[in-house]
Amino acid sequence: MNINFSGVSKIFEPDIAALVDINLNIEQGEFVYVIGQTGSGKSTLLRLITREILPSKGTVAVGNVDLRRMRSADVPYYRRDVGLVAQDFRLIPSLTVYENIAFVMEAMSVPKRIVAERAKDVINQVGLWRRRAMRPAQLSGGEQQRVAIARALAGSPSLFIADEPTGNLDFHTAAEVMKILFAINAAGVTVVMSTHNQSIVNSSRQRVIELDSGRLVRDEKGGSYSG
Amino acid sequence: MTTFKYILRDMWRLLVHHWVLGLLTMITAGVMLWILGITTLFSLNLENLLSRLESELVVQAYLVKDNTLDVEGVAARIQALDYVYSMKVYSPSDSLAKLQEKMGSQSHALDMLGDNPIPWNFEIHVHNAEDVTPLVEALKAMPEVDDVVYAGLVVRRISTLSRISSRVALILFILAVVITALVVYNTIHISLYSRREEIGIMYLVGATRAYIATPFVLEGTLLAFLGALAAAGGIIGVYFPGITMLRANLPFLNHSLLTEKMVIIRFCALLAGFGATLGWVCSYVVVARFINAITRPE
Repeated sequence: MNINFSGVSKIFEPDIAALVDINLNIEQGEFVYVIGQTGSGKSTLLRLITREILPSKGTVAVGNVDLRRMRSADVPYYRRDVGLVAQDFRLIPSLTVYENIAFVMEAMSVPKRIVAERAKDVINQVGLWRRRAMRPAQLSGGEQQRVAIARALAGSPSLFIADEPTGNLDFHTAAEVMKILFAINAAGVTVVMSTHNQSIVNSSRQRVIELDSGRLVRDEKGGSYSG
Repeated sequence: MTTFKYILRDMWRLLVHHWVLGLLTMITAGVMLWILGITTLFSLNLENLLSRLESELVVQAYLVKDNTLDVEGVAARIQALDYVYSMKVYSPSDSLAKLQEKMGSQSHALDMLGDNPIPWNFEIHVHNAEDVTPLVEALKAMPEVDDVVYAGLVVRRISTLSRISSRVALILFILAVVITALVVYNTIHISLYSRREEIGIMYLVGATRAYIATPFVLEGTLLAFLGALAAAGGIIGVYFPGITMLRANLPFLNHSLLTEKMVIIRFCALLAGFGATLGWVCSYVVVARFINAITRPE
């Protein structure tokens, strides 16, 4: 799924410019780091892709579909093709690990038997099968992040959005999470990940998009991050 | 079918998660719908009684004593009045015979009167109590009519009672509907509010609005329906013993009361349906508003 930003600006009330005139194109199967300081507009850029917010100016198109023109009834079907991992995990606290993951497929009316098989697959993929009956509050930050990744994988998305997925994790756990993300990308899924972790960006030279005060200041393939 | 099973499971989770609130909603809805049902039945019975009394209201018109009077002509003019439902014409001799029959063994007292003093007269039945006063005025305006006898005070009281009972029933009906609607609305709103974060996540990972909303709408509908069923049970439990007691103590009410079991059971079924519909409408409105607000992109 390719992503295209054309002249995109986002202004929050009363007059805070989060993004200013962004033009960029991400091709299917790319792995892209979105870097920048806190408040540079990384999360706003990702939230525009998931259609949590709409641009104040310009066009965001995913798979050649203008997200502004998308009917609200079509939004859930679009989001099923977008795996989302947030920094704060956004897990449902009252559900177990298994239920959090199964839920995404249940919402797609997938039969129970297939839900069970697929949930087992993705939970194993993130190495949490033994913790499947636990609730998010009983897990560590790294484990919760892996549950969020498993949930994003459950719907077999063709686009994976990760907003600072290693932000709350120690180096070792962050490296494990990155391994999973590279494996997802190797399967042909487009991955867009925001981070301000220099060592992660520098350890695997991928395309780097750098934002500063809402402006695109660098778009470099195989780029590094010097902070 | 798969989706429906998931939705039912989610509804069950909601009920279990907020069981105290659900129980309170059910009890409040039940009490309000019970009041609504009992008020409606009381009103229907009162209407029945008043209709019966109205149908028995009689206006007696006595003509002047004049042998040259055109009785048939006067009768035709009275019959033509809008207020008249039916009319019987009594000649002086018929009236005397009727009076003698009524007096039974005391009828010999009438012999002391000499000539028959009773003139031609009409027994007039009206459509309803409110027709009596204008009819009496119309009759009194006719020169051939000497006197009009009717139960004026009874007529006025019946009319007033009928009006008051209709208004009280309407006020109680509106009050019960509004309170039930508010209670269901608030319960579902609290349920939604406590899960607002969850709803946001569900929408973000691809759940449709209908998938998110249906368990909440079903929860509200079920709570109001169960409340209405309890109210129906309460009505059946109270109504029939109450009617039996009334019939034993006030036998004159016998023909004015709704006593057919099937009618009352149908009424209770209607009340349960009404409760479920009210629950569905309230839940639908609150869920639609809440989910629209929470899922609207900035």
